[in-house]
Amino acid sequence: MLIRAVLHRIATGLVTLVVVSVLIFLGTSVLPGDVASIILGQMATPESLAALRSTLGLDQPAYLRYFMWLGDLLSGDLGISKAGSGAGTGGTPISEMIAPRLANTVHLAGAVALIAVPLSLGLGLAAAARAGTRLDRSITLTTLGLVSVPEFLVATALVLVVAVYLGWLPATAYVSGTETGTALLKALALPTLTLVVVASSQIIRMTRASVLNVMSSPYIEMAVLKGLPRRRIVLRHALPNAVGPIVNVIALNLAYLVSGVVIVETIFAYPGLAKLMVDAVQTRDLPLVQACAMIFCSAYIVLVFIADLASILSNPRLRYPR
Amino acid sequence: MHGDETTGKDLRALQQKFKDGGISRRDFLAALGALGVSAATAQSHLARAAALAASPRRGGTAIFASNLHGPDDQLDPIVFTSGIDYTRGRACYNNLTQILDHLTLHPELAEEWSANRDATEFTFKIRKGVEFHDGAPLTADDVVWSMNRHLGPDSPSVIKAYFASVIEWRKLDRYTVRARLSAPDRDLPVKLGEKQAKIVKRGTTDFRKGIGTGPYVLESFEPGVRSLHRRNPNYWREGPNFDALVLTAITDPTARVNALIAGDVHLIASVNSRSVRLIKNTEGVHVNSTPSGRYGGICCLKNTPPGANDHFVRGMQYIQDRERIVRSILKGHGQVGNDHPISPAYGADHCTELPQRPYDPDQAKWHLQQAGISSAELFVAPVAAGIVETCLLMQANLKKIGFDLAIRQVPTDGYWGAVWMKEPMNVVSWNMRPTANAMLAIQFAPGAAWNDTYWNNPRFGELLRMQLAETDPARRYGMLCEMQRLVHEGSGMVIPYHLNILDGVSDRIHGIPVVPLGATGAHEWVEFAWMSE
Repeated sequence: MLIRAVLHRIATGLVTLVVVSVLIFLGTSVLPGDVASIILGQMATPESLAALRSTLGLDQPAYLRYFMWLGDLLSGDLGISKAGSGAGTGGTPISEMIAPRLANTVHLAGAVALIAVPLSLGLGLAAAARAGTRLDRSITLTTLGLVSVPEFLVATALVLVVAVYLGWLPATAYVSGTETGTALLKALALPTLTLVVVASSQIIRMTRASVLNVMSSPYIEMAVLKGLPRRRIVLRHALPNAVGPIVNVIALNLAYLVSGVVIVETIFAYPGLAKLMVDAVQTRDLPLVQACAMIFCSAYIVLVFIADLASILSNPRLRYPR
Repeated sequence: MHGDETTGKDLRALQQKFKDGGISRRDFLAALGALGVSAATAQSHLARAAALAASPRRGGTAIFASNLHGPDDQLDPIVFTSGIDYTRGRACYNNLTQILDHLTLHPELAEEWSANRDATEFTFKIRKGVEFHDGAPLTADDVVWSMNRHLGPDSPSVIKAYFASVIEWRKLDRYTVRARLSAPDRDLPVKLGEKQAKIVKRGTTDFRKGIGTGPYVLESFEPGVRSLHRRNPNYWREGPNFDALVLTAITDPTARVNALIAGDVHLIASVNSRSVRLIKNTEGVHVNSTPSGRYGGICCLKNTPPGANDHFVRGMQYIQDRERIVRSILKGHGQVGNDHPISPAYGADHCTELPQRPYDPDQAKWHLQQAGISSAELFVAPVAAGIVETCLLMQANLKKIGFDLAIRQVPTDGYWGAVWMKEPMNVVSWNMRPTANAMLAIQFAPGAAWNDTYWNNPRFGELLRMQLAETDPARRYGMLCEMQRLVHEGSGMVIPYHLNILDGVSDRIHGIPVVPLGATGAHEWVEFAWMSE
């Protein structure tokens, strides 16, 4: 039954991806102005627009372009970016543009996850284990405060203190792919710290809430009456039953780290994938927007699938889809 | 707050500018006077500044952060549209001619040039012994190929309007080319100094390699991230001074200023006028504020109501509280506009005889009553520094005289295609052009593609053509003056202010030329600036 449940989830994921691809295509085609008018900007004339449009192949009907795009996508070809190459030249393969950005994004998200996940699980469990104590109250108050602060404020405050006044770290993260060792660590430090603050708060609160929720159920009371130590109750009895929601909030946070950190990327001039997509929207580079959107949606679907899998494994009741 | 410390810093910045040759002796003394320094003290400061004058030093890696970049960054000069493109173009390529300090014209790849009597044929002698970065020699073929890319209706060139009168570029021999024109154009050599008129290698198909004859060799180029350039060891003339350049952009204005203050970058473009004080009060960095012809303005379309009514436009012009806009909105980093685009930054081309249009609510009220119009709708997007605030001030002042101006705020994204030149009242920004004639022609020539007020004045069109054919300087000026007056009195443009170019500069960077055509000395710093220890 486990395999059937998993297959069911995979099928749902694939259908979601197809629906999303249609939505992405439709969404990008209702943007006002096409890549030609954006490239030429204020300097556009009807003749130069028409000339550029036909060189870029923008005069084909939309449904044709969708199927051509989907076909290329399935064969692993992300397409050619229509901007960026000179007039009358071939264009830039999108995979070439995305690869270094994706690597940067994975570095940043990985560094954040590596710090944020253990940190917030530990703090969340500690708060739950000692609910109502001074430790719990201070953790709750701090996370509540940090959750309500927008990330650009966290980022700007960190830059102001650490980079501008103290001068310990660079204010911007130039990541060219050539940095190694300390230079890379220094470049990544401030954006990582910002995102750790933003991501951990949510995971801590969710961990504490779901563990406490389980802690009030009768079988925990039984364990307490049996005289088990508090630590063992939390880790062995409560946590496995609270894993579902916790893994889900971690997965959502990771997905956010892949696709939603455009503000942090902008403030630190960090060349990640989210920034590439926003730039692509601004320049109406639709193939690039579509490729980025597909990567983000796939990341969401895969991460949520993993979270589901973890829930299924930890909770046998979910193995029987109704 | 504006204590001795700030004055001391201003003074150092001025001394620096003077010794780098950025300002004349007279400007230096005048600026000191404005800082409240007595004449005798000023003379001693001048002597010290002159003594400090140092010769350029070689070495260092200069890091420049522009304000915009993206996956559409270009290395094909004819489609350059942003500051980061222009800067990279300056590093990779050369022009035939070069526009330097205070808009003076110098030879670059063209050693010399001559025109026939009626300025319909120009002959350029190409410099010998110049090599492209890949070792190929520069010849007339490369020049002809590069320049012909701007011609013809299908050309994607951003500046093809400049060369509309050019019939063809032809090679005469290995080092001589000739341009044949269908109408006289005395300004042609100046236009060849524009950012898009770079000379590339004949038959280039992949511009991302950036192969040109310029002062730096391109090492790596990632659009929307950054580019790396190394000094060209075979450069055909003295220079450049830096060992290497890193050219990037930081799109967030606050982050850009932070990066300058923290020392991550040496040079930033497009400083927000609100950040100027912060930079001024920080050790080790300063602001270069250069008066320019760039402006933000309000277009009233002349082919549709309400702009079709001359009284209406006049009312909109008289209601501009220009002094206050420059003082409060631009924090002093701008010049009062006079409803035509030729600001004093155009030097001798600026018409000094034209009286300044004042802020006069009574006149405005009278004109609006004559027009019989009591309300209008204005589309506003933040396309130029200060334009949104200017429109809000205008709205408040109009309300006082009983006129109801509705302001529709729209995003910049998509603005040029959807709003500009379409809605009866909208806002616009224009960069400075290298000559007054080029600026006037591009925006006001009858039937021009970007005639954004649809103003049609046959006499103006005739003057544009006559001025390009005229040789007598006094008569050229007379014609320019008449054109400025015609725009000032007849077009649908409201130009309340001209913007200064605001660059943030590390105190270690010296020798940025003063060229008001664009950020950081119209990008000419790349070849001429240098870095002290």
